[in-house]
This record gives sequence, structure tokens and C-alpha cells, in this order.
Amino acid sequence: MKKRQKEWLLNILGIFIVFVFLFPFFWMIVTSFKTQSEIFQIPPTFLPVDWQFESYQEIMQNNIVQNFFNSLLISSLTTLVVLLLSVPSAYGLARFSIRGKELFILLFLVTQMLPATVILTPLFILFNQMGILNSYAGPILACATLGIPFSVLILRTFFLGIPRELEDAAKIDGCNPLSAFVRIVMPLAMPSIIVCGAVSFFFTWGDLIFSITFNRSQELWPLTAGIYNAIGQYGIEWNSLMAFATISALPVLIIFILLQKRLVKGLASGAVK
Amino acid sequence: MLKKLASKWEGYMFVIPAVIYMLALIGYPLIYNIILSFQDIDLQALNTGDGSFLGFSNYIDLIHDSVFWISVKNTLLYTVGSVVFQFIIGFLLALFFSMKFRLASFLRGIMMVSWLIPLTISALLFRFMMGSEEGIFNQMLLSIGIINDPLPWLTSPDMALWSIVLANIWVGIPFNMLLLSTGLSNLPEDIYESASLDGASVIQKFFHITVPLLRPVILIVMMLGFIYTFKVFDLVFVMTGGGPVNSTEVLSTLSYRYSFDDFNFSMGAATANILFVILFVISLIYLRMIKKDEVM
Repeated sequence: MKKRQKEWLLNILGIFIVFVFLFPFFWMIVTSFKTQSEIFQIPPTFLPVDWQFESYQEIMQNNIVQNFFNSLLISSLTTLVVLLLSVPSAYGLARFSIRGKELFILLFLVTQMLPATVILTPLFILFNQMGILNSYAGPILACATLGIPFSVLILRTFFLGIPRELEDAAKIDGCNPLSAFVRIVMPLAMPSIIVCGAVSFFFTWGDLIFSITFNRSQELWPLTAGIYNAIGQYGIEWNSLMAFATISALPVLIIFILLQKRLVKGLASGAVK
Repeated sequence: MLKKLASKWEGYMFVIPAVIYMLALIGYPLIYNIILSFQDIDLQALNTGDGSFLGFSNYIDLIHDSVFWISVKNTLLYTVGSVVFQFIIGFLLALFFSMKFRLASFLRGIMMVSWLIPLTISALLFRFMMGSEEGIFNQMLLSIGIINDPLPWLTSPDMALWSIVLANIWVGIPFNMLLLSTGLSNLPEDIYESASLDGASVIQKFFHITVPLLRPVILIVMMLGFIYTFKVFDLVFVMTGGGPVNSTEVLSTLSYRYSFDDFNFSMGAATANILFVILFVISLIYLRMIKKDEVM
């Protein structure tokens, strides 16, 4: 009986901790439905007394639909680039004897720790020479460098765990290494590939610096850049800003809920390796 | 013959595309950054394509720039403050969620969401909550009566840096907690059982068993925390933009300002290089550490 009480207590305490920790998100959503005067009220109200939905209408008139589309496009294409490059690379590093393998792995590890600001100026000049400033290409090319090292390192660990006999059997049946990889290994690795894809998607979804630096044209801006711009524009209209933030966070929340267990596991192994 | 050659190279065919990509978009810019920092490239030189060679004069200018030293100091204070507290809180939470109750792993997992949300949004949320009149922090403190006047969270030069540290601690906690939880779950249980038989208290067990056994993981978490915090940009950029009066300027925002507010690309590159060298040295130490310990 006493043990059960303790378990109850721990569960409740746990829920309380998580609520306090995630309070900023709760506050974001609540504020987006409050009126301007209610936001400034002391003591604060924890749920809107006077629900209003105008802030969502307000931001719809702003560029948010275009921003959303841009975020989606940039993040999806970046994820595609990341997976196309990192899946085979991780497989190669896991399966073949390659000279300089250690060096390659080290290269990926080190790049994971580089700040974006370090490559920002040279990339800006390089992209200027290539004539791809003010296009989707700039942020996509740059953001892929965030997802590739992460994905290569995670997927390599995964491929190392797949028994080699599976591919050997395929080869005896007449598969070449490429088709053995595509037909046998890839389907097995799909859950891990999805995690890497999701993480690359999140990395890119959260990018602000590459987009506002490479693209002066607001037509090309993702949600993060749109929000940054809106801070100046809306000033203290926090309900509109919070509505903007809620819309921007929504896809991340949805993907996170769908993939929660796998993602947490993947993040744990990827952050350390 | 051709087949043999192909099979010798097939491994490289898989690996090389990603390596070339990274060399082109990270390796080349790093080298170009060094060249840039010795030149004099502004907006005009960018279009004509020629900048004169200056030698070390950008670096010398930087050393004589008081804002540069302020941002070095801020970056260090910021990093150390964030790493220490996010580690302590992350550790406490990891210990809490390592107790066996039904919702433990589910709740711990949910907390990770704050790590995946765009930093721009987290920064905006804290900027809002720290607002002097509209912010919940002041509203709560005022209604309880702890303070009589609103605190200038982000508007006072003395307070702004610590307010951003607070936001960064929040961002960093789940990451610390997750890694420490993984470490805790790998600890052998029988040691704890025999320690209990010997009459060890919870606190004794923590300091004499948990901490020593977890040492490699603790070091890694601290190092990674340092690396990820040292390069922070978005949080500062969105919360204060380096102000008020440079009180929250860090190396990354300073570099950005040189390059894209003043269009002095060479000074921006020089600042970024200093940031890079510091991070590179720390990364090397970290890599040696994980190689030696071979943890995880």
C-alpha cells in the first residue's frame, strides 16, 4: 500500500515538473487567444477570460502563408539532400575497408561542432559569386551541412549492427553491392533513416541565420525569419506574435508526437557518438 | 579487370559524395575565412572581387576594439553560467526520472520537445515572458509582492546577460538530462544493492558510487554543453541583438555585426576565426577524451 502511494506521488510530481518546464509553450498558446489588455493585466489570467481569434486572422494577412510554404519547401528539400548523401556514406563507412576511414569519421564529428557564424561570411561571398543569393538554394545548401554529419554518424552505428550475412546471401543470389544495399539494408534501416530525416527537418525548420543572410527578399523567408521580422513590426502586440509562434511550432510538435519514442532514442545516441 | 577495379573502389563510391559536399561547403569556407581575415573586403570589394592584402591588421584592430573584449568576456560568462546550471538541473531531473514510476520515461521524453523547437521561438517566448509589463515573470513577482517595481530583465545592461543565460539553461536542460539518464541506466545495479547492505545512505551512494562511475559521461556532457553554448547565436540575436550597450554581445553576434551590419567582411571573418580556434581546441580535447574513455 505504501509503495503504491509513493508511486502516485512520483507520478504527480513528475507531471508537475513537466508542466512547469513546458510552461512557456502553454503560455504561448494561451496568449495567442488573449486580448491585448488582458495580456497586461496584473495578476495575470491563466486562461483567456475573453477569447479572441483575431490575432490569427491578423497574421494570415501578413506573409505567414508564404513563410510557411517556404519553411516547408526549404526543410523538405534539405532533408532530401541530407538523406541522399548521408545514407550511402554511412553505409560505406560501416561496411567497406576504406583508407582514411578514421579521418572521415573525425571530419564529420568536428563539423558537427562548428558554429554557423564561422562559415557564414565566406559562404555569403561564395554564393554571391555563384549568383545564388536571393534563392532557395542558399539556405538549402547551407542547412544540409547541419544534418549530414548527424545522420552519417547515427546511421553508421546502425549499419554496423546489421549482420553482414544478409548482404552476403544477397550477393550469392546475384545482387551487386548497390542492389544489396537498396533491397536488403535500406528497408531494415528505414526507422533510423526516418529519425535522421526528422532531425534534419527540425534543424532546417529552426534555421534563421542562413535565410536572413543569404536572402534579402522576404518572399523567400521561412517562418523563423518572418517571426524575427514581425517582432519589429508588431511591437507589443504579443497575441499576434504568439499566434505566429504557435503556427511555427505546430509542425515540430506534430512530428515530435508521432515519432516521440524513436526520436528520443536517436537523439541520445546521436548527441554523443 | 574492370570489375576488380570497381570492387576496390565501391566503398569510396558510397562515402565520397557526402565528404565532397562537406569539404565544399565547410572545408573551403573555413580556409577562405582565413584568407578573408588577412584582406580588406567590404561591399565594394565584394563586387569588384579584389581586396588588398593587409596582413594581421584586422586582428590588431580587433585586439584594440573594446567591444571585442567585452564579447569575449560575455561569451565566457554566458557559457560557464549556462553549462553549470543546466548540468546541475539536468542531473537532478535525470536522477528523478531514473526512479521507477509509470510515467517516468514518457514524461522525460516529452521534455525533449523544447530542444527541438526553433531557437527563434524559444528566444521570442523568453523575450515575452521577461517583458517589463507584459511579462509573466514580473507579473507573478509583483502580484506575490516579492518586488515592488518591475525588474528590467532585458533592458538593464547589468541584468540582460543573466536573463539570456536563464533562457539558455532552459534550452539546455533536456539535452543534459537525456545524456545523463542514458548514463544512469547503464550503471550496474548490484553495486547499489551491496552498498545498501553495508548501510550506505542515499547521499553516500550518490557521491561514492554514482558520480565516480558516471565520470566519463559527466565530462562528455559538460564538454558538449560548452561547445554548443559557446557558439550560441540565435538566442542572443533574437532576445537582445547584443544590447543594451553591448552588454550581451557575444563573439558570434559580433562577427555577424561586422559582416552584415557594417559590411566589413574581413573583420567579421577575423572575429569568426577566433571563435573557431577556441572551439576547435576544445573539440580536439573532447575527441581525445571520448577516444580514451571509449564510453558509449
